[in-house]
Amino acid sequence: MIKTTNLHKSFGDLEVLKGIDIDINPGEVVVLVGVSGSGKSTLLRCLNFLEKAQEGDILIDGRKIDRKKDDLSNVRAEVGMVFQHFNLFPHKTVLENIMEAPLIVKKADKEKAKQLALALLDKVGLSDKADVYPNKLSGGQKQRVAIARALAMEPKALLFDEPTSALDPELVGEVLQVMKELADEGMTMVVVTHEMKFAKEVADRIIMLDEGRIIEDADPDTFFNRSTNERTRQFLEMVDL
Amino acid sequence: MPDILITLSEVFMRTYEGFLKAALVTLKITAIAIVLGTVFGIVFALMKISRSKILQTIANLYITLIRGTPLIVQIMFLYYGITSIVVLSNFWAGAIALGVHNGAYIAEVFRGAIQGVDRGQREASLALGMNRSQAMRRIIFPQALRRAIPPLGNQFIITLKDSSLVYVIGVTELFGLANREAASSFLPFETFLVVGMYYLVLVLIFTGLLKLYENKLNVDKS
Repeated sequence: MIKTTNLHKSFGDLEVLKGIDIDINPGEVVVLVGVSGSGKSTLLRCLNFLEKAQEGDILIDGRKIDRKKDDLSNVRAEVGMVFQHFNLFPHKTVLENIMEAPLIVKKADKEKAKQLALALLDKVGLSDKADVYPNKLSGGQKQRVAIARALAMEPKALLFDEPTSALDPELVGEVLQVMKELADEGMTMVVVTHEMKFAKEVADRIIMLDEGRIIEDADPDTFFNRSTNERTRQFLEMVDL
Repeated sequence: MPDILITLSEVFMRTYEGFLKAALVTLKITAIAIVLGTVFGIVFALMKISRSKILQTIANLYITLIRGTPLIVQIMFLYYGITSIVVLSNFWAGAIALGVHNGAYIAEVFRGAIQGVDRGQREASLALGMNRSQAMRRIIFPQALRRAIPPLGNQFIITLKDSSLVYVIGVTELFGLANREAASSFLPFETFLVVGMYYLVLVLIFTGLLKLYENKLNVDKS
C-alpha cells in the first residue's frame, strides 16, 4: 500500500531520516514511536510529500511516485492526514470544513458532498455540530471533525501526526475511540503517537525510530514484552504505560 | 457670536456647493485609487511570496521605488509620463498615480496578512489534495483578508487624505478648490479650516463603514 525504500531527509546539515525502508500493507495499523527528534513525524510527513525526501523512493499501491512528473495533489488526495493541531479551517463551519475538499478537489456534487459530510459527522458523533464554527468546539471535537474531513476524500490510507498530543487528558479517549473504530473497519493507518495503550491495543505493527533509523519493527506483543533491543527497552521504561 | 464664527459660516455658506462637488471628485479619485491599489496590492503580494525569483524581484523593485519616492513626485512623473504617450485627463492620471502608489503599501499589507496565516492551514489544504492555488484562494486568502482589514482601512484613509495632492496637476478636488478659494477670498485661514472639516467628516464616515464591515466579519465567524 505504502512503501518506502532508502528514504533520506535532511534539514540543512541535520540528517533526520537516514535510509528508511517500510512497507505498509492494506488494512494495517502501524504505529510509529520514538523519542522526540527520532524522525517519526518527518517520516510521516514524507509519506504524503508535505516534506520532500532528498533520496529514496515512495511507492503508493506499487507505483513509484515521481515528485517531478506526478501531480502530488492527486497523491495527497488518496492519503489523508490528521494533524496534531487539527488545522481546521476557522472561516468555515464544521460541515463546510468536511465538504470543502470533495467539492474543490473532486468537483463532487454539492448535495452528495453534503450527505457524505453529514454521514461522517454522524460517524464521529458530532451531528449536532454541523453548523457551528471550529472555535466553538473542544479540542477533542475539533480532532474528530478533522478526522471526518480527511475521510471525506475517501482516502486509501490515513496518516495521524500525534493526533492527541494537543488535547487535554480527558479528551484523548474520544479521539482514540474514533481511530479504533476506523482501524476495526479496515482503514490503513500510520499513526505517530505517544499513546502506548492505543499502540498496544490497536496496532498491528509498531515501528520504533531512533536517530533517523528503524531499530525495531514488530507486533505489539513482541515490542512491549519481548524486545531484545536495548534502546527499545530504555524507551519503554521512559514512557508511561 | 465671535467674528471668526461669523466669517466661518459665511465662508461655509458661500462655498458649500462648490465643496460638495469637489468632495465628490475627491471620493471618486479615492475610490478608483483604492480599487486599483487593491488589485496591484494583491498581485504584487502574490508575486512577492511566489517561488519565482523574477516575480519576486519585480515586486521588490516596484515596492522599493514607490516607497522610496514622494507621492507628489510620482503624481507629476506619471502625469507627464502618461499624458506624453496617451491622451488622459488629469483626473484619471491622478487616480492612476494614487492607485499605483497605494498598491505598494497594500502589497505589504497583504503579504504580511498572508504570511501571518498559520502554516498548518496550508498543510491541511495540501494534505486534502488541493493544489497551491486552490489552497490560496479557498483557505489562505480568505483568512488573510480578515487580518488585512484593519491595516487596509488605515491605508484607505491615508489614500483619501493623500488624494489632496493631485491638486498639483490641476484636479479640482477638495484641496484644489480650497486653494483657489483661499486666494480669491483673501480668507486662507477660514477656507482651510472649512476644507479640513470636509476631510474630517469624510474620514469619519470611512472609519464608521470599516468598523461596520469588521463587525460583520466577526459576527460571521462566531
